[in-house]
Amino acid sequence: MPGKMVYKDKDAFLEGLRTAVRDGVPPDRIRTITPFDVPEAERILSRGRSKVRFFALLGAASGTAAGFAFTILTSLSWPLIVGGKPIVSIPPFIIIAFALTILFGALSTFAGFLLLAGLPSPRAIRSDEDHGNRFVILVEEEEPR
Amino acid sequence: MNRGEGGMETPDRYAKAERDILAAMGKPGKAWLAGAGFAAVLMLIGGVLWAYQIREGLGVAGYTHPVNWAVYITNFVFWVGIAHSGTLISAVLFLFRAKFRTSFNRAAEAMTVFALMVAGLFPIVHLGRSWVFYYLLPYPNQRQLWVNFRSPLIWDVFAVGTYFTVSLVFFYVGMIPDFAVAQRWKEGIRKKVYKVLSLGWKGTDRQWRHYAMLYLFLAAFATPLVASVHSVVSWDFAMSILPGWHTTIFAPYFVAGAIFSGTAMVITLVIPLRKALNLQEYVTDDHFESIAKIMLFTSLIVTYSYIVEFGLAWYGENPFETEAFRYRIAGNFRYLAWAMIFCNSLVPLTLFVRKLRRNMAYLLIVSLLVNVGMWLERFVIIVTSLAHDYDPYVWGTYSPTFVEVGISLGSFGMFFLLYLLFVKNLPVLSITEIKEHL
Repeated sequence: MPGKMVYKDKDAFLEGLRTAVRDGVPPDRIRTITPFDVPEAERILSRGRSKVRFFALLGAASGTAAGFAFTILTSLSWPLIVGGKPIVSIPPFIIIAFALTILFGALSTFAGFLLLAGLPSPRAIRSDEDHGNRFVILVEEEEPR
Repeated sequence: MNRGEGGMETPDRYAKAERDILAAMGKPGKAWLAGAGFAAVLMLIGGVLWAYQIREGLGVAGYTHPVNWAVYITNFVFWVGIAHSGTLISAVLFLFRAKFRTSFNRAAEAMTVFALMVAGLFPIVHLGRSWVFYYLLPYPNQRQLWVNFRSPLIWDVFAVGTYFTVSLVFFYVGMIPDFAVAQRWKEGIRKKVYKVLSLGWKGTDRQWRHYAMLYLFLAAFATPLVASVHSVVSWDFAMSILPGWHTTIFAPYFVAGAIFSGTAMVITLVIPLRKALNLQEYVTDDHFESIAKIMLFTSLIVTYSYIVEFGLAWYGENPFETEAFRYRIAGNFRYLAWAMIFCNSLVPLTLFVRKLRRNMAYLLIVSLLVNVGMWLERFVIIVTSLAHDYDPYVWGTYSPTFVEVGISLGSFGMFFLLYLLFVKNLPVLSITEIKEHL
């Protein structure tokens, strides 16, 4: 039963969503558009947790690795003793690795979000379709991507 | 301002929130133009004086032989510190699910980004040859020699660079759904710009699901930066062997001071903002009371750090340390040190009184005094330690010249100009989050 239901109110929207799922509409075919995040809707549609978190882990881990590799390898490429400290001075390198962990982690999470959410979307930027502050349930014929 | 059709058919309270918040982005009034004009003039004066300093050399600054770090480095530490409460409010309070955060987070995030832009200039202003600042960046020079990663100045580059990038991403990500709202109320070129900035945000379940996870992770990544960035800045000093600088307490002491001064700056900015834009409904006195409590709490930590510093110097029986702290409180800069204690330790104590915490005029005065006090704190730490170290033969003193004063005032001009531009061009409160709590 493809179609579009529009609600003005969050509670009515959630009720509509529950009814649709109870009536046997496969949650995979339901798409919602809301003015703000409604975590309850996610639970009704039993969506899994966002995969953005894997990008966070991957980015952070690569940042740590890059931080240590960068400092150690560049120090070894011209071994010059400064201030009587060892060539490979781990304590100061931890500071660099720490900063890069955060930097790479944050940027990779952001990139992962853009990829998974399909943004930026030139088609959506051009389109004038707008639901304002209404809560919309769309049931699609085909399973959405 | 165009009152678009889009908002009117929807539940009134959502449309009203949008209209109230976006009203700030209307045609600038006289007060705004006067403020922006004044800030622009200050910034211009700072820019001209910097050009003069570049032309004539660092001799036009008041550096004397023992005091080679002074007002510029004070400004660097001050502005980096100001940035901190932005992250505290937007990231840490988000993780703690503190609802009052919604009233301040956008203003605080903007403040973080602008304060870091200003802070980043000062190490460059402080350089004799500002045009070779890129020596600090991690790249191999002509002889394939890389930067010295054991130097605290390089840590600064990484810490502040990361902080700026992550804060900018956090600031922008928070605004993506709000841009989608803003474009609805605008026409012409502004509509197009907001549409592009919204990246084509529609608010689908798929977008919100990933967005919620992204926001959570960005908050989690930004939280350790609250502690790490100012720790690294404090190590610029603590890694040296100077009495008054070389101490293990510096990192936590600086972090507390950073949050303290940043909270004060948020209050300084948001009280006039709320009044000018009639946002009393969204930023309530309760919210200010909560943030005043953070300021009071961090003031107590800062006071405790002062006590510990002086206590160690007194009880430690190290003659150099004892003399450094005697000089700090009773030497050439004693009035500044006393003013620092008055502004940072004594005045905030009055916030234990509930009535005073809820009195906006009083809160604004306290926050301004705290800003002054925290600037003085950095000045006192930096200058007194340099002026009076181990060897009496090299003791000296310092006073800033008009070039240093002008460039410092110019930095305030730049900060406030950026802030005023933000108020007119970006949503000042998080519209989607406010709708969520309505």
